[in-house]
Amino acid sequence: MPEKMPRTELRESSWTPEERAEFNRRRRGRNLLLLAALAGFSVLVYAIAIVKLHEYGQMW
Amino acid sequence: MSDSTLSGGLGVSTAADWFSLLKPRVMSLVVFTGAIGLIVAPTHINPVLAFTAILCIALAAGASGAINMWYDADIDAVMHRTASRPIPAGRITANDALGYGIVLSAISVLLMAMATNLLAAALLALSIFYYVFIYTMWLKRSTPQNIVIGGAAGAFPPVIGWAAATGHVSLLPVLLFTIVFFWTPPHFWSLSLFASGDYERAGVPMLPVIKGPRHTRLNVMVYSVLLLPIALSPYLFGLCGLFYGATALVLSVVFCYYCWRVLTDQQDPQGHSLTNNAPARAAFKYSILYLFILFGACAVDRFI
Repeated sequence: MPEKMPRTELRESSWTPEERAEFNRRRRGRNLLLLAALAGFSVLVYAIAIVKLHEYGQMW
Repeated sequence: MSDSTLSGGLGVSTAADWFSLLKPRVMSLVVFTGAIGLIVAPTHINPVLAFTAILCIALAAGASGAINMWYDADIDAVMHRTASRPIPAGRITANDALGYGIVLSAISVLLMAMATNLLAAALLALSIFYYVFIYTMWLKRSTPQNIVIGGAAGAFPPVIGWAAATGHVSLLPVLLFTIVFFWTPPHFWSLSLFASGDYERAGVPMLPVIKGPRHTRLNVMVYSVLLLPIALSPYLFGLCGLFYGATALVLSVVFCYYCWRVLTDQQDPQGHSLTNNAPARAAFKYSILYLFILFGACAVDRFI
């Protein structure tokens, strides 16, 4: 069975140290954004649940 | 470091690229009109739920934008205005953008249903469907009336905001919908007058490309005149007060003047501008200000 080709961005053996640093910086930025989005979503769902249960006594 | 120094694919995108897929400029207008629909509704809504409703409208608009960029990647690549977007520039793959748009669409509709009511969620889903399937996939590449009919997609937010607060739809949000619907043609055709080269290159049948600039100028003028009584209608129906009525009248008359200048711009025999489309650029800028102030006046009027 042929070996699966790695994704373009993972074929990094030819990268210079500057390119690798830039890649890491961008990946860190994306990961932090995703973390913030997931944390915000969790807090929002919790807040909605509290408000709806408090004001209407039910979620739906 | 330039993007070209890193190979294409997911690995070179930045957080800003993912944000730009949501078309933040378009989103700001959508959020504003949606918030106005929510504010003018004659009922109280908890601030957390109101915030969630506006966030859902923003997410849905952004998700539609991302799916639009996935579908229009071929067009975007040949237009100067859009060539540096993340997909044509190779920083995000089209399939990743599609997945991103679908997931955000689902989250926005489900969150809206959870936080407000099923009507608001259904209208939100309808607006996404309309923008993606009716405008992007069908109308945009098939008729010069694309932005007239497709303009309905951008007119949904005030209705959704109202529905989120009240659970139903009445005359005022329908009038707000109609205002945005009739505002879209002069707004967009003003833009297309000075960007028609881009649309022609991409093969998009915008009105100036198919019917020529002279016909487009006339249509800009006609729609701005049609918009005047429609903008006044919330006052004429007694749904808004004198403050809104006076603001709408002044804004609309000025808008007609800007569109009159577009119509009477110095032109060659084919109708191409000899002034680098300065009146069309001015009308386009004013149209954005027009909608912000008009809807702002509607909200202020509610508290007078």
